[in-house]
Amino acid sequence: MIRSDNGYFGEFGGRFVPEILLPALTELEDLFFGLRDDPAFWQEFVTLCQEFSGRPTPLTPLRRLSKQLGGAQIWLKREDLNHSGAHKVNNVLGQGLLVQRMGKQRVIAETGAGQHGLATAIMAARLGLEATIYMGAEDIERQYSNVFWMRQLGSSVVGVTTGAQTLKEALDEALRDWAASVETTHYVLGTACGPAPFPELVSYFQSIISDEIKEQSQRQMGRLPDEIVACVGGGSNAMGAFGAFLDDHEVALVGVEAGGLSLEDGKHSIRLSQNTGETGIAQGYKTLFLQNDDGQLGDTHSIAAGLDYVGVSPILAYLSQQGRVIPESATDDEVTEAFSLLMKTEGIIPALESAHGLAGGFKRAKQMKPEQNVVINLSGRGDKDIFTVARAFPQREWTEFLQREAVRSTEALAKKRGH
Amino acid sequence: MFPAQYEDLQIMSHAVVGFPSLEENEKAIAGLAEAGVKLIELQVPFSDPVADGHTLVNACYEALKHGGSVQATLDLAQRVCARHPEVTFILMSYLNPLYRYGLDDLFEQAAAAGIRGMIVPDWPVEEIEPWLPKLDALGLAPILMVTPNTAPERVAKITSASRGMVYVVSRMGVTGHETQWGEKFQNYIAEIRKHTDLPLAVGFGVRTADDLGALAGKAEVAAFCSQYIEWQRDDGSEVAAEKMHSIIETIPQA
Repeated sequence: MIRSDNGYFGEFGGRFVPEILLPALTELEDLFFGLRDDPAFWQEFVTLCQEFSGRPTPLTPLRRLSKQLGGAQIWLKREDLNHSGAHKVNNVLGQGLLVQRMGKQRVIAETGAGQHGLATAIMAARLGLEATIYMGAEDIERQYSNVFWMRQLGSSVVGVTTGAQTLKEALDEALRDWAASVETTHYVLGTACGPAPFPELVSYFQSIISDEIKEQSQRQMGRLPDEIVACVGGGSNAMGAFGAFLDDHEVALVGVEAGGLSLEDGKHSIRLSQNTGETGIAQGYKTLFLQNDDGQLGDTHSIAAGLDYVGVSPILAYLSQQGRVIPESATDDEVTEAFSLLMKTEGIIPALESAHGLAGGFKRAKQMKPEQNVVINLSGRGDKDIFTVARAFPQREWTEFLQREAVRSTEALAKKRGH
Repeated sequence: MFPAQYEDLQIMSHAVVGFPSLEENEKAIAGLAEAGVKLIELQVPFSDPVADGHTLVNACYEALKHGGSVQATLDLAQRVCARHPEVTFILMSYLNPLYRYGLDDLFEQAAAAGIRGMIVPDWPVEEIEPWLPKLDALGLAPILMVTPNTAPERVAKITSASRGMVYVVSRMGVTGHETQWGEKFQNYIAEIRKHTDLPLAVGFGVRTADDLGALAGKAEVAAFCSQYIEWQRDDGSEVAAEKMHSIIETIPQA
């Protein structure tokens, strides 16, 4: 797994935070550096993931779809089969072990699609911690089912109404909470971004994904895959899928960003390609940000709430600059097409975030030979996207059902108030 | 210039460049100068001001819609520094707008415009230290922040890299909420004074005449910012300046 040089990966990374947050980051870093090379700690983490989240997740061959596309054999790393339905839980369970060691009783988190918030709410419930989840008001509308479950699990979900009301603003607000609560609260950052040591720490826990891919591909393919493809929002599932392969130069690593509606400013979330992201310092770290000439962070768009983030992991920015990670993108339309194709051909419902990886991976697989292997990291399942997908593929029956359900829900509320 | 150590309490107040508009900034600053404010921060608005509470977050958001930028801040500085020589102007910004502008150019142009100090909350001391020779040569004082949870050895490091004054964050959290000024706070101030002879500017939660009364004789500067921006937002710059004048009158003199 990649190691930072004093918090930096090439020119990216670092720790640019208000002074008030520094002691907590240093404490976390000291704890993490003391544990990360301890095999007993890693085993404790792996056992927890087995017992609680059903790891290892399978590596599933897509026989029918691969044949239909006529290129390489495509495999899916099934992070969608984790408890909570996405890879986010790996990092959260790992940070839970750190919270227990620090003795803090409260956790906070930012969330975009709600998967990280949901995973944090689950961890907090299991460990008996108080949890506050910050989520952009716009994202709450897009991912209400996750909000519903976070609240049922006992977490407080705070809608953030500043700016574009998405992940960037949720992260700002979590940092503000932390500035006031840092002595008793741990910030469970959900992606491989933010101030050091978070990019390294989140990538460390997520690397359980690529550890498993490595072992499974030897067993199931008899060798390492030719390519690994993952969608890139902040970069945690991509770093997880790539981590163990960084020194295996015969394995191509491909990160697929959200191409959104078009390349126009504010209509996409492509940061790694030329002429989109520019080096900047914000939200506690230095990376490629979508920003204007005055250094104001820009607006983003994606059909997937978990991908429309304005920055990107400093580790991925570095690996992409070095040519080790190949940046690709998929538009909203390509994504819904890949989503539908996987569902109808293989019976798997992907998250819209992960469907970016599918769109990019399918495109590349078509250009490859049948004896080659492509692994796509299916970072999450699509149940949470039911409302968004229903709008992408409108059905009269669904709309009528929602109308009846709205009446039933209103009646239930009135009855509760009556008591 | 910056106050001397143990000088009577002065007010540092605030302008968010572009809030409520670039034209209004100049009138508001003239009002503050007339009210007796000796130090004024010119804040470059930023899309993601993580150390600020909602008052300044929303002011930044409005300011960006009305032309606030690094360039607009330098242009404004040029005019107000010339017009109000009795006031010390300080550039306040998050790092990214300055970084994008180019730090070398920015420092030179800010100094040339008459800016005397700089407050950048997300610029840690380790990253500032290499710039100290240049900043010293330009006479541009980096005013670094000390917080209640800063370890003593780090207070020493921060105060020795600071110039002009040290910004003392009064409590945990972001700008714009109340603060208690009891014994704990006084011990905190005393601890910082062990490390530095620079005057102390206390900020975060300075909102009332009582707050100023509590700080008089304990700090040289009180940063009276979010409350002023709220007055400006709700009552306009003219009334805000009158309120500022009245509150300055209440400060006890030694």
